Amino acid sequence: MTQLVCPFCGPRELHEFEFRKTAASAGGTPVERVYLRVDHPDLSIEHWHHVRGCRTWLVIERNPSTDAICRVRLLGGDAE
Amino acid sequence: MNSTTSRRGLRLGEGTFSFNFDGRRYQAREGDTAASALLANGVRLMGRSIKARRRRGVLTAGPEEPNALLTVGDSFNCIPNVAAPQLVLRAGLLLRSQNRWPSLKFDVASVLQAGGGILGAGFYYKTFMWPSWHTYEPLIRRLAGLGSAPAACTLPQASIENFSCDVLIGGGGVAGLTAARAATRAGARVVVCEREPCLGGEIEFEDARIEGTGALAWLRELAVELNSRGARLLFETTVVGGRGGEVIAHAEPGGLAGANTLYRIRPRVFVVAMGATERPLTFVDNDLPGVMLLSAAERYGVRYGVRIAKRTVIFANHNRAYAAATRLAAAGMQICAIVDTRPESAITEARVAALREQLVRSGIECLYEQTVIAARGRAGVTAAEVGSITGTGHVRVIECDTILMSGGWTPVTHAGQQEGGTRRYVPDIAAFVADRQPDARMTVGAANGVFELSAICHEAQAIGERAARLAGQACSPVPPPKAQGDPAPELRPFWRSPAPRAAEKRQFVDFQNDVTVADLRSAVEEGFYEIEHAKRYTALGFGTDQGRLSGVLGAAIIAELRGEPLDRVGTSRLRQPFHPVTLKSLAGLRTGAALRVTRRTPLHKWHLAQGGVMGPTGLWMRPMHYGKAGADVARISALEATAVRTTGGISDASTLGKIEIAGPDAAAFLDYLYMTPASSLKVGRSRYAVNLREDGMVLDDGLLLRMGSDRFRATTSTGHAEEMLAHFEYYRALEFGTAQVVISDVTDAWAVIVVAGPKSREALLPILEDPSRPPVAALQHMDFTMARFAGAELLVLRASFSGELACELHCPPDSAASLADALVGAGMKPYGLEALDILRVEKGYLTHAELSGQTTPYDLGMEGFLKRKDRFVGSDLLDRPAFHEESRPRLVGVRAANGHAAFLAGAQLVGREDRNHPCGYITSSALSPALGEYIGLALVARSIGEGAEIIARDPLRLGDTTVRIAPIVHFDPSGERMRR
Repeated sequence: MTQLVCPFCGPRELHEFEFRKTAASAGGTPVERVYLRVDHPDLSIEHWHHVRGCRTWLVIERNPSTDAICRVRLLGGDAE
Repeated sequence: MNSTTSRRGLRLGEGTFSFNFDGRRYQAREGDTAASALLANGVRLMGRSIKARRRRGVLTAGPEEPNALLTVGDSFNCIPNVAAPQLVLRAGLLLRSQNRWPSLKFDVASVLQAGGGILGAGFYYKTFMWPSWHTYEPLIRRLAGLGSAPAACTLPQASIENFSCDVLIGGGGVAGLTAARAATRAGARVVVCEREPCLGGEIEFEDARIEGTGALAWLRELAVELNSRGARLLFETTVVGGRGGEVIAHAEPGGLAGANTLYRIRPRVFVVAMGATERPLTFVDNDLPGVMLLSAAERYGVRYGVRIAKRTVIFANHNRAYAAATRLAAAGMQICAIVDTRPESAITEARVAALREQLVRSGIECLYEQTVIAARGRAGVTAAEVGSITGTGHVRVIECDTILMSGGWTPVTHAGQQEGGTRRYVPDIAAFVADRQPDARMTVGAANGVFELSAICHEAQAIGERAARLAGQACSPVPPPKAQGDPAPELRPFWRSPAPRAAEKRQFVDFQNDVTVADLRSAVEEGFYEIEHAKRYTALGFGTDQGRLSGVLGAAIIAELRGEPLDRVGTSRLRQPFHPVTLKSLAGLRTGAALRVTRRTPLHKWHLAQGGVMGPTGLWMRPMHYGKAGADVARISALEATAVRTTGGISDASTLGKIEIAGPDAAAFLDYLYMTPASSLKVGRSRYAVNLREDGMVLDDGLLLRMGSDRFRATTSTGHAEEMLAHFEYYRALEFGTAQVVISDVTDAWAVIVVAGPKSREALLPILEDPSRPPVAALQHMDFTMARFAGAELLVLRASFSGELACELHCPPDSAASLADALVGAGMKPYGLEALDILRVEKGYLTHAELSGQTTPYDLGMEGFLKRKDRFVGSDLLDRPAFHEESRPRLVGVRAANGHAAFLAGAQLVGREDRNHPCGYITSSALSPALGEYIGLALVARSIGEGAEIIARDPLRLGDTTVRIAPIVHFDPSGERMRR
């Protein structure tokens, strides 16, 4: 993973992006939402910022075992 | 034959020059490498081994060289660990051998270890245990190591080049070039990385014919064709790694870390054609100078015209030995014997049988199922002991000065395995090749375990066409070039000669790390039999060659010791970089001042003109104080602060983050982002505002200005400006996806000048054109309005960070300097960051020292803001019990108990009785000119009340000082001065 495909800008170098956090597990108490992360070897859902590009916030689904990007979508909107 | 002027070789030019090795001058020919020139000068001893300090000569003719590692240059500006066969010489170059003291021929450490082999695996750790390994470590580390780093680095700056292409080919041998030609003919954009300064790889010395012509002529035509079709050929460039579809290649001109280039290449298809590395064989004293790889002897002959031996024994387990022997004999070398570990019946190729007949007729002995048991000699090989591979029977001594060995080839599979590909064992070649490969990755030629030239051409043609198709070019299959080269190897695995146990510590497996069969045996016996454990226990496969020579050989010997097949044992994981890369290349242009951005405010030049002494705060350059550098900073800063309290001064606050939030939902959005609500704010008013992180800790503070019913401007602290912008954008996306909110960063759109002091209003009013409602003169504390200065629009906000009557002036950057001049003309004195800090500590205002990311609103005394019932960022976790425990700190003021003693920020606070357990620390401190004593802010345990006396411990600076807990606001507690 040295590139990410931004929905607006297309494939861009990784250094344009910054990782914010691994998405929280759904529901639960406030403490769980803030501190508990889904930690799965094959699927990691993460929030990234195209901070040196179009500044869009993204949800990236990737496979930490293979380093493959499964899906990139915009943070927010209907899916959230 | 080895005279400087009469040598004939493919790489040699006409000129001659001299160079210096360990203080002696030698002659070299243009094009010579350090290894070829030293060999031609009869120098065999080129280094000492890392641990046992044994004499070593050059083993290979490539970058995998484990022994002849040199330091180039003097001790101030040098490059250590340059492989002698890769270092192309220039006139006057200074070369030094490594791992020896006082000289290469006589080394003290080797005398200390004359017993031989006392340094088994783990020797140091096992021996130097009392009282602790760390007692001995510094001394031992000085003896160990590979070369030494230069005192300074004056290497030319390296560049980093990024590009993309259709097909990237690693390796410019016949396999890579055939694939390159097929892909370029199909119209693909092709780039070839070749580690040598010219194309061809092994074909340089093979007896090969391709498409009816000699191999070298074919190569020349091919290079012309590739160039004319727009293919890019990068010479002296090695693919060193890569990941995620990106391939990293490193160019080192002349093998000398000079003006290097790091290529970051993004190919659609990557074809690995990096060949294979010839392996050594293991026998007793196989590290003596004069024991060399068979291919190295051929390379030194063909490229540089160096005949490396007068009498040689060739020792191998495959057919290539016969072709090589024929060529070396033709070049004038006397071959005493070919020692073949295979039975005679293993040779089935008619061409090999014919070569062998010819060799025997010319008087060269061919010995089957025989092995070199040991090399004899002290400073170099003088004879070979040859006996049966079973270790029984008669041992013959053959006098010779060189033993040329070849144990087969290890395909270069690094580039794939580094990215998670797998490898499989191929018994025919006793080596591993790429199995499952990453997407759009192919391996071809010797790198894929194919060693016979016509088979390579066949495979490479198909791979080149497939790569072009994968890259989106239509192409129809074309027959491969017709080629004939050396016969197929018909290799039979053979790894080490039989030896008594006592001699195993002189059977070297990894030359660079002095790993012997005895070391591997102790690793297996002591439980480190897994290959990755054995590697770490013995250092097998570490170092600059990264196990290219020793990886499979070591694994095979471990397999033998474990009594298991080699494919079960496997080899250790291959890691990046494949070949050493200087740190300078990785840094590229990002060095020194270019390492990071330097930000300057619009008033930067103005500050300099006023005598401002600039200092870095984060990325920004800000004036620390005004006046001569080196003057008494504390005194000047105190005077500046006093001026603000008595008349008035100006400071540059342009570095504050400024974010505008607009839209119908802006107020609701800010209510959610801030702990302090925004919707209740009236237009034209501002409010101190605090943000929390989602975990309830304080993130930042600033001011929130309501510019209109649906428009706000937020200021953030300098250090958090970028983080706050991202924070705003994050929550807008996360929770306000459909809301109408626009966020704009206006930090650079407005310069900010603060004018503060009892006379600041009198100074400001006359210079403003004041068409606004309300007029500036009528502004109350925390009101703002728009005014004009010299035709420019100006936001005038009555707010104070100094406790004095003050205004923040947000003005266009290009009018900032004239505004500052006008204010100075009206009697305001510029004050720097030091004075600003004094003023804010006197008033108990917060900066990053208190907003450290570890403090809650309760810790900082912000309970007053927390009357809201609705949710905002961080509110969910504010009620955590841990936030309300007695052990939480609380922000307080501190003053010296006796009124005069000094203390500094960072001092730990301890109780007067129990001085071993800190109960807090001082976050900020200042010598207050207004109060005439040291004051500070501190975070201390809640149990310690106001008036209590505790100790500020600062053993490295000021020692212990007794301090008293005081109110946070040291000066003008009622705040009447700023509300006047």
